[in-house]
Amino acid sequence: MNGLIIICGLGLLAMISEIFKFRSVLFPLVLTGLLAALALNVWEWNNPMHISYFENMIGFDRSALAFSTVILAIALLWFVLAQDYFKSGQHLVDHYALVLFALAGALMLTGCKNMTTLFLGIETLSIPMYVLAASKKNDLKSNEAGFKYLIMGSFASGFLLFGIALVYGATASFDFEEIKAYIAVFQGELPGFFYVGVIFILIAMAFKIAVAPFHFWAPDVYEGSPVLITGLMSTVVKTAAFAAFMRLFMMCFSNVSELWVTLLAVIVALSLAVSNFTAVMQTNTKRMLAYSSISHAAFMLMIIMSDKGETASVNSLIYYSLAYSLASLSAFAVIYLVSKNGSEDITELNGLHKRNRLLTITLTIALLSLAGIPVTAGFFAKYFVLSQIPSDTLLWLTILAIISSTIAAFYYLKIVGSMFFADSYTKEPIVVQKSHAFVLIVCVVLLLLFGMVPGLITELALY
Amino acid sequence: MMKLAALVPLFPLVGFILNGLFGKKMSKGLSGTIASVAMLLSFGISLAVFLELQTAENKATVINLFSWISSDTLQVPFEFLIDPLSSVFLLIITGIGFLIHIYSLGYMKHDDAFARFFAYLNLFVFFMLLLVMGNNYLILFMGWEGVGLCSYLLIGFWFKNNAYNDAAKKAFIINRIGDLGFLLGIFLIFTTYGSTTFGDIFPNAGMASPAVVTTIALLLFFGATGKSAQIPLFTWLPDAMAGPTPVSALIHAATMVTAGVYMIVRSNIFYSMSETASAVVAIVGLATALIAALIGLFQNDIKKILAYSTVSQLGLMFLGLGAGAFSSSVFHVTTHAFFKALLFLAAGSVIHAMGGEQDIRKMGGLKGKIKITFITMLIGTIAISGIPPLSGFFSKDEIMAHVFEYNGLLWFFAMIVSALTAFYMFRLIFLTFYGKFRGTSEQEHHLHESPPTMTIPLVVLAALAIFGGLLGLPEFWGMSNWMAENLDTIIMHHHETRLSHQTEWILMGLAVVSALIIILIAYNVYRKKGLVPVEKEQQLKDWQRPIFHKFYVDEIYDFLVRRPVDFLSESFYKVLDLQVVSLLVDGIGNSVKTFGSYIRLIQNGNVSTYIVGMVMSIICILLFIFLI
Repeated sequence: MNGLIIICGLGLLAMISEIFKFRSVLFPLVLTGLLAALALNVWEWNNPMHISYFENMIGFDRSALAFSTVILAIALLWFVLAQDYFKSGQHLVDHYALVLFALAGALMLTGCKNMTTLFLGIETLSIPMYVLAASKKNDLKSNEAGFKYLIMGSFASGFLLFGIALVYGATASFDFEEIKAYIAVFQGELPGFFYVGVIFILIAMAFKIAVAPFHFWAPDVYEGSPVLITGLMSTVVKTAAFAAFMRLFMMCFSNVSELWVTLLAVIVALSLAVSNFTAVMQTNTKRMLAYSSISHAAFMLMIIMSDKGETASVNSLIYYSLAYSLASLSAFAVIYLVSKNGSEDITELNGLHKRNRLLTITLTIALLSLAGIPVTAGFFAKYFVLSQIPSDTLLWLTILAIISSTIAAFYYLKIVGSMFFADSYTKEPIVVQKSHAFVLIVCVVLLLLFGMVPGLITELALY
Repeated sequence: MMKLAALVPLFPLVGFILNGLFGKKMSKGLSGTIASVAMLLSFGISLAVFLELQTAENKATVINLFSWISSDTLQVPFEFLIDPLSSVFLLIITGIGFLIHIYSLGYMKHDDAFARFFAYLNLFVFFMLLLVMGNNYLILFMGWEGVGLCSYLLIGFWFKNNAYNDAAKKAFIINRIGDLGFLLGIFLIFTTYGSTTFGDIFPNAGMASPAVVTTIALLLFFGATGKSAQIPLFTWLPDAMAGPTPVSALIHAATMVTAGVYMIVRSNIFYSMSETASAVVAIVGLATALIAALIGLFQNDIKKILAYSTVSQLGLMFLGLGAGAFSSSVFHVTTHAFFKALLFLAAGSVIHAMGGEQDIRKMGGLKGKIKITFITMLIGTIAISGIPPLSGFFSKDEIMAHVFEYNGLLWFFAMIVSALTAFYMFRLIFLTFYGKFRGTSEQEHHLHESPPTMTIPLVVLAALAIFGGLLGLPEFWGMSNWMAENLDTIIMHHHETRLSHQTEWILMGLAVVSALIIILIAYNVYRKKGLVPVEKEQQLKDWQRPIFHKFYVDEIYDFLVRRPVDFLSESFYKVLDLQVVSLLVDGIGNSVKTFGSYIRLIQNGNVSTYIVGMVMSIICILLFIFLI
């Protein structure tokens, strides 16, 4: 909770920094704030005194704290990386404020315990993201991305609100726990529109995490937005949306799981097929990573789907979010650094090996992790998912997941191969400044560390 | 204090990382210092741990670092086990490792890839330490593979020479064959006992059926034949001499090749339970020892002689293991590490003095020119020949006594091996150090003693080779055998030797007398008559020819394995790969691409299409749920 308060405070500070002329200290201020928020998260973890706030509308139990720690840590790395992004351009403080408010929305989502806070979190997270997607004002594609994101996002928000209203109509409550209790008591006597409501909420959430057939926005928006914003979308936004998804469906709607498990299975299967088959054909790196993120979202959905009410699945989800976010962040960081003076085409990475070794190694490890090759965290992330799927009923899904992972390995490894063996157009070395190198090295080290010692995350005592 | 043992492998790892990453930017002095200091620190801690263990109540400490693999039934914690067996190996690895690092400072001084050499060497030590410290078969296997990798890297260290690369590949591939057996053994252990941790397996070893135990024992032994160069997988070790000499001393004499012995002593319970497996180990060991000793007689390369001698000595250790003399074999590993490392390093010093020449036919009369090298090498030779009171005498005698009790015929052949050992070793000494110099005058001019960084390790090792026997004095002398008592807790089934003191005295006397006679014969042939081995094969006698050709083992393998495999690969490539697999794979790949390009059409960039798509999907979902 303290983390959320600090981030909101930072956002307000960023807004007034223009007026009171302290923009130059804004960057260190933000870093300090994020570090403080992280430290307070750890403190709250060890001293669980106040868990619920505002009439039980928001609550930071240990799983919420774990997710918000992941988000804050990734955001911290992201800010270090984005330092020079904030230097260029005119609307510096607006960008700071927007990112910070999006972050506040993300943290709120990790702790939501009420439909109100869920909706508030999603909107607080989404609206700044619409603006940020369009933040390259002179770039047509960026404008288009922001616009598309807004239209499609509002559409999904509509469904979310509609769904919440229907569920409220059936259960007369916004509170997750109360809804759950109500379902448990009146199971079998619930009106039909309650189920429609649950389905609508699920559809809206599926849109936010971008899984098929609600993924159409993702490739276009990922491609059009500035690289760093795309990086933010695929890490912080995705983790937060999954934290909320998990709370909603594991806590609140767990008693009607027969309704949504089959549906999720279909969504997962569709996402795996569509994303991996399409990714093979992509020529733009960001677009390819967008499809890759759809496929990873499908994997994460499988954890929610196969939940047996055990803490292991929450741990797996945190592990997966962390592994995916780290790999994704470092991949976007490399693309950002490479595309500064070039294009975002996959061929731009050809022969990167000769231009900068650190970037090559980072991207190699990141892609290996995304492909799920051992020693990187991605391996165990996928392994935990596959080992948790109930093999009696959903064996076909496991097989499909493995096949699509194989296809995915193709397009990841193709890039790795071309970085080392293909000839580049230019031999000009790429200079990486120290702070960027720091972020890359931290990501690589963490990916390897979690890959070698997955117990660091999976054995966290969440309850 | 015990917990500190976890630091032992850490220092070489740090040394490897520093030298591996920044070696190019550092001066030779700095990178050598880092590597050597890492070893010294590890040795210091090993020594402290070792001493503490001597007085400790609890002889086995498990250090749990973290949970490594945790998945349903497979639970593998990353744990180290500090017990008398691993502590002895820790001392050997870090102690001799440190001396060899010091030696390498001098030996590799003129090499450009100095830092790379030390990085590999540190990495090797790290993996070797994992191998002996691991508390389960999986960590053991990780170390096992790691040392194999480092061995490959170091044999092919001078990778610009193609023959060296071939030797490295040979070592790696042959080791892989053995590893397969080891891996199968681990799988079988896991399926039988449900764990890979030593502490879970050994107390319950009896629960499995005898057939399973025998299979496990044989599979593990097959793994050991790869790493420890036994029949049928011994051919890589002599070729491995392509690596720099300190590598031969550390990896291919003192430590890595004894990993097989370590593994079998660790798993001794399986062998105590299976007579068949023990007999196989004993017979294979003896056969290896005999064949390698015979081949050693006709080698002219100073390092190859030592390599075959190593194979032969390892064979003796396995013979001991098969005869149930586990602690004696560890004792022999220890003394062998002392004198064989010494012999290799001394040989390196000779090669250094000769400017790279390794053929003993082109040496001779070096005695006066390189005095320290000569004296230390002589000490090593006396030790390996089993002359009292040097270390080799005690350890070999202990094995021999056990073998005699186990089977008289095996003992007889082992005596022959020991006699042959004395012969080829003194042949080496006489040809190298006595007589007239047979090299070029340029080489003669160049002759010089090695620098102190190289001679000091020689002197230390020589002292160890002399006094190492104190670790295991014979019990029938009324002394206490420290080694046997120390390893007492590790050995699951004891069998006391029931030989009378009289018999033991006679056996010992026979061994010493036969060694002395053989040395005299060698003296007669190579010193008095001044015989020098012939240059050309034609001058050999008929019975000598197969031995000279190393019993044609490589050729036989080539015929039996390589050619059929080549033939199979060729035909599979032509028929299966080109005709079937290619078409299939390309077909799948192309269909993926085609399918992808169709899906891509939906993604046309048009928001209204997207929204229509979403709405259609939602309608489908609702219909699906409420109508079906």
